[in-house]
Formats: sequence, structure tokens, C-alpha cells
Amino acid sequence: MKEDYIETLRQQDTNLRDAIRLEEEALPPMPADLNARLMQRVAKEEKKPRRIVWPWIAAACAAGVLMIWLTPPKVTPEDVVAKQKPKVEQQTPSPALPSNGKEVVNPEAFKAEESVIAKAETEKASRRTTPRQEKTENAQMTPPSQAEEPATDLLAVQETEVSTPLPSGEGQGGGSVVMLTERDIPITRPENYKYTPEEIALMKQQANEAYLKWVELELEISKYTLEKMAQK
Amino acid sequence: MVTDIEINLIEGLMEQSPKAQQMMVERYGRHVFSQVVRLLPSVEDAEEVYQDVFLKVFLNINRYEEEKSSFKTWVSRIAYNESITWLRHKRQQMIYFEDEDGEAERLSEAEVEATLGHPNQETVQLIRAALKHLPPEERSLITMFYYEEMSVKDIAYVTDSPPNTIASKLFRTRKKLCKIIQMLQS
Repeated sequence: MKEDYIETLRQQDTNLRDAIRLEEEALPPMPADLNARLMQRVAKEEKKPRRIVWPWIAAACAAGVLMIWLTPPKVTPEDVVAKQKPKVEQQTPSPALPSNGKEVVNPEAFKAEESVIAKAETEKASRRTTPRQEKTENAQMTPPSQAEEPATDLLAVQETEVSTPLPSGEGQGGGSVVMLTERDIPITRPENYKYTPEEIALMKQQANEAYLKWVELELEISKYTLEKMAQK
Repeated sequence: MVTDIEINLIEGLMEQSPKAQQMMVERYGRHVFSQVVRLLPSVEDAEEVYQDVFLKVFLNINRYEEEKSSFKTWVSRIAYNESITWLRHKRQQMIYFEDEDGEAERLSEAEVEATLGHPNQETVQLIRAALKHLPPEERSLITMFYYEEMSVKDIAYVTDSPPNTIASKLFRTRKKLCKIIQMLQS
């Protein structure tokens, strides 16, 4: 029924049929050389060897899986360290906390720090005693990197002194000695991650000295330029 | 129904004979080109898709099933699908009339028949103008029905839709055309 109705529509809609016919006639004509171009393309396509890619992809995947399966797991330095760490902990037992819960400070390390601070203070004192003129002359002669030497020396001293073997219960008994540097020790004490007042004072002093040096240098430059101007 | 010439042609295409390919292009070239150029916005695009259609025909000739459709309809199906795929792939911005308010649907059959049926040259010109406002799929659908005089079943095969959907689309497109004409007149 519906099909018959549709067929009658086809015959009935004359305006629409005419319009579509005119539209079709107005379509751009087919280029004359289009078929020749098509045949050229067909010839080109046929010349191309058709490669079947999927077996190669499957083989590559299988090879990759085999590679992963067969290669032994890599032993990284972190793994070695992780394996060794428990031993170190066994050999160097952590100092027992007293009953009041206060932290126990390693006396030798504390002594080493004290000696460093004392050394720094003596250096400061010796600098204070030297006349100012002499100091300025030295400052002019020495480059700024040399002026900062005491601080770097101080750090080096600290590290070497801390890296000396720590006395431990088992170590004293003739067991294996473990060398610990400051990097291996976890920062537990505030002195290790905060600047001490002495260090702060030292840094302030260095900053003041650097400022004075800069002022003197500026003065020198201005003197030099004035002299040059006077000569002219 | 597949004719003897078509059987020979298909056999030649299966053997990848250049002669058969040339014959195929000469026999169906114009039909394919008109179908493609109707859907695509420019001749250059139509030329590209035209070549793709024949390459696909030559490559997939083994897939042709005689029982489902005629050879020409099968070629038309490939051409239609290639054109629609191209349009979707390019995502070209085109403006068409969309009956979102359902105003076209409310038009009576008598009104539609009066507009599209009674011979009138002025109306023909208006319909030609209105056709430009239809989406390519709908324009292709009514061209296949009114100009190529294809059956609903064949159109359904070409567009890969159920025949009932095609019938509904035909009715809707007619009403839509009437609505566009009314809008153009007003």
C-alpha cells in the first residue's frame, strides 16, 4: 500500500521531478581526462607490491614479550643500598633515649662541632685585631672567592670530622667498622638543619665586609675617573 | 538481475584485466561522477572521490553479491559511502535548513501536493532554489528517487538504511522543500 502510494508520488510531483532534472543537467560535466588519470592511478597501485604488515607486527610484539621475559632484572645501586642498610642499622645501634625522653647527643660529634665554632671565633678575633687599613689592602688584592674561603673551609672541616668512625658497641669489640658521612646520617638535630648563631654572625660579617669592599671599589673608580678628568 | 555483459565485466575485474577496468570506467563513470559531484561541494573533491570509488570497486569486486542488488546499485552504494565518508572526514561547515520546530511536519499533504504537483515553471525555479538548502544526503535521496527512478529498496541498499526509513525520509523531505519554498516566497 505504502509502496504504491510512493510510486504515485513519483508520478504526481511533476514540479519536483522537473526541478531535479534541471539541477542534474546543471551539474558540472565530467572532466575528459578523468578516466585516463584514474587508469594511471590504477596502474600505479597495481605496481606497488602489497605488503602484508600484520605478521611483522605480531612477530615484533612476540619478540618484545620474549625480551622482557628473558632479560634478568637489573640490580640498581639503590637496591644494593637498600640491601646494605639493615646491616648498617644492626652494626650501629641508635643511641638509647634516656628515660626523660631527651635526645642524646654524640659527645665526639658535639666536640667536633665545638672545635669548629671555636676555630671560627678565633679567626674572627684575629681579624678584629688587624688594623683596618691592612684589611682593606688585603681585600683589594684578593678576589672575592678567596674572601669566602673560611666558610668553605669550615664546611670541609665539619664533614671530615663527622665522617670519622663513630664508636659503637659492636665496633669497639673488634667488629667491622662502618664509615658514615654526614650524608648518611638523617637530620634529626636542629643544629644540622638550622644556622647556628655563630654561623649567622659569620655570614653577617662577611656581608658587611663585602659591602665595604664594594664601597671602596666604587671610591677607587670615582677617584680614577676624577684623575682622568683632571688630566684632560 | 545481472546481464551477460555485467557477468563478463565482473569476471574480467576479478582477473584484474585492464581491459575490463577500462570498460567498467566507461560504462559506469558518468553515473558515478554525477552521484559524487551531487554530494560534494567542489569538482576537485568529486574527482578525488571518483578515483577512490573505482579503486575500491576494483579491489573489492570479490565482495559483490548478486543476490542483494544489481551491479550498478552496488557501485552506487560504494560511491555514496565514499562521498559521505569524505564529507564526514572533512567536516566542512555548511548551512542547511533544519526543521527544528517541526513546522514542516505540520504541513498538510494537500498543501505539499499543490506545491510540488501542479505544473508551474515559477514553482520549479523555487524548488531548484530550495534544493540548495537541503543537506546532501536528503538531496541525494530525492534525486535517486525522482531522477534515477530507483526503487525504495535499492535506495535503502545504497544508503544502508531500512526501506521504511527511506520512505519516511522521502515524505519528510517533500514537506521540508515546501516549507523552504514558503519561506522563500515570504
